[in-house]
Amino acid sequence: MSLPHSLEEELPTVNDSFLRFGASHGILSAEKALVHVPSVIDASTKDEADLGVSPKGASRTLSNFESKCLRWMNGVELLDDALRNKRFLPTGCEGIDTLLGGGLREGQLTEIVGPSSSGKTQFCLYVASNVAVKLCGSIVFLDTSNSFSPTRIASIVNQICGPAVKEGQERRIKNIMSSIHCQSVFDIFSLQDALHELDNTLNMQTIREGTKICMLVVDSVSSLITPILGSKSSQGRSLMVSVGYLMKQLADEWNLSVLVTNHMVSGGGTSKPALGESWKCIPHVRLQLSRCPGSSICNVSVLKHTSMACNRSVDFEIPN
Amino acid sequence: MENPRAWLLVNETAKAMFGRMEKERPSLVFPPLNHFSIRAGDVVEITGPSPSAKSEILLQAAIHCILPWEWNGICFRGLEMVVAYIDLDCRFDVLRLAQVLKLRIMSAYGSTHGTCRDSDKVSPRNSFMDSQADHLDHELFLSCMKRFLYIRCYNSSEFLAALKTVHHGSTSSREGLGVSLYVLIIDSIGAFHWNHRACQPLTKDGNTWEKLSLEKLTENVVQEIKNIQDVQPLIVLASKATIFGSATPTIHAHRGHSEGLKNKNKDVGNNFSYREYMSPLWQSLVTKKAFVGISDVVSSDGRNGEFPTYVCEWIKPHEDHLYKFVVRNNGICMVS
Repeated sequence: MSLPHSLEEELPTVNDSFLRFGASHGILSAEKALVHVPSVIDASTKDEADLGVSPKGASRTLSNFESKCLRWMNGVELLDDALRNKRFLPTGCEGIDTLLGGGLREGQLTEIVGPSSSGKTQFCLYVASNVAVKLCGSIVFLDTSNSFSPTRIASIVNQICGPAVKEGQERRIKNIMSSIHCQSVFDIFSLQDALHELDNTLNMQTIREGTKICMLVVDSVSSLITPILGSKSSQGRSLMVSVGYLMKQLADEWNLSVLVTNHMVSGGGTSKPALGESWKCIPHVRLQLSRCPGSSICNVSVLKHTSMACNRSVDFEIPN
Repeated sequence: MENPRAWLLVNETAKAMFGRMEKERPSLVFPPLNHFSIRAGDVVEITGPSPSAKSEILLQAAIHCILPWEWNGICFRGLEMVVAYIDLDCRFDVLRLAQVLKLRIMSAYGSTHGTCRDSDKVSPRNSFMDSQADHLDHELFLSCMKRFLYIRCYNSSEFLAALKTVHHGSTSSREGLGVSLYVLIIDSIGAFHWNHRACQPLTKDGNTWEKLSLEKLTENVVQEIKNIQDVQPLIVLASKATIFGSATPTIHAHRGHSEGLKNKNKDVGNNFSYREYMSPLWQSLVTKKAFVGISDVVSSDGRNGEFPTYVCEWIKPHEDHLYKFVVRNNGICMVS
């Protein structure tokens, strides 16, 4: 569902006279036509020569927009899509699955916030392993701080699956490792690149059959975004919001469950999630992790959810 | 119109006119914004930090609009009109809509004899068995869901295109469903603020290449909404997230005289300062405005655990009263 960039390529029914009319008013792209056409037409209705041409072309452009780029869905179609294509991916931590009504939703962006060493990365690794073990699909893991650990994945997998003979164990680990794709990204631009690349891969995936990619993990997204905020200019926030929208678009169009992590900053005595107010509008679900030092029990509480009351919490343990 | 003169000369009593208005432009009543009536022509802005149940309020409004007034003798007090939901935040959860709608239908079936005003008219034929009720529920549920139109926009061009096609969509829905569009919901209006703040127009000249600037975008959005309102009676509900957090109190002159109130509700008072960032053009379009926030008070109903309490205050028209509400499984409930 993206807008065509050039009028003549994507909208074959736009005729030459409309193109000439548009060009005479500096309208060369569909995007520009959207913004300017009505006012230009208003202005040029006084202009007798254009009168015959313009409204026709404009209304044709509009009906094309509707049929090609924009899809109004009614509630029945929407519900059907949600029930058929958007699964719950089990996290493997029983408490969290019950808390979230089944796990992380495909099509949604889930954010984990928590202070340093509260178990955010461990949670990501655990969920990724569990999803791979349960054969829900492949996972793309974007690692921004070199925290991805294959040995940890292997030990989690062995825990989930239980003991096996050595040979079987190795084969199993190999299988599971092959469905977790890890990529290091160290700045926001390479994150954008990686996301666009993922979009292309998913496009290809629809053509040839293979294990479906069902999850995207970005650990941690805040370490990429924090450096570009700071200054007074709004460029940084603009980038942040557009990366957020990119991830939400991927999640919805390709039925991915997106999991990102965010750290906490302290200010005025209390600590709160980093990235500020504007970022709050990006995730569908926001979970806060906390852990007493030395203890292996983590506490997770719902800060925000699209369909459940917030402030509920549950304890869980990620086994060592 | 065959005879315009006859049409002009017809006298109408106030009662008849009131009745006609109620029918043609019914008011939208949904908690927590049920203190003032919201009618066609109104543009309501719901402002609040995230999370403050803004989307939940919009959902309530949508459900009120798509439910029929009555169905098989059971009274739902809905409007039976079409809702168009433009989702700029891309966070709408259709499962939540389905959940609340089903619970509303079920509870109306459950309390048919008790609370329904038209209960006298309910014939014995309608007091059906459970299985039959399930079947009818589903039929009603589907017909309601069909009146809900939804579109997701990932950038402002898509938003503008969506606004332009609302009317097309509503005409086709009128042909298909027999009812017309009455409520347009935009969640949330400030979503693309940062994207446009960052790109200022390259040149002042309108004919050269430029990126869509913030002013131009708002101007277009306002114009499109006015265009739709010209063609048909319409209520616009827009949510707006406060993206700046707490700001300096000087900006909030209008809150100066409610100091006492603020002190009384210290737990919620600090939520109430925010910085306006939408352009004056949009501000002038807004006819009613409410502020919502979350308070630290937790209410419990004993059965389903604890729910955070939210507060709502009217800013335009101004009213010094905090309405408190909680969000439960079946929607928003007011607490006194």
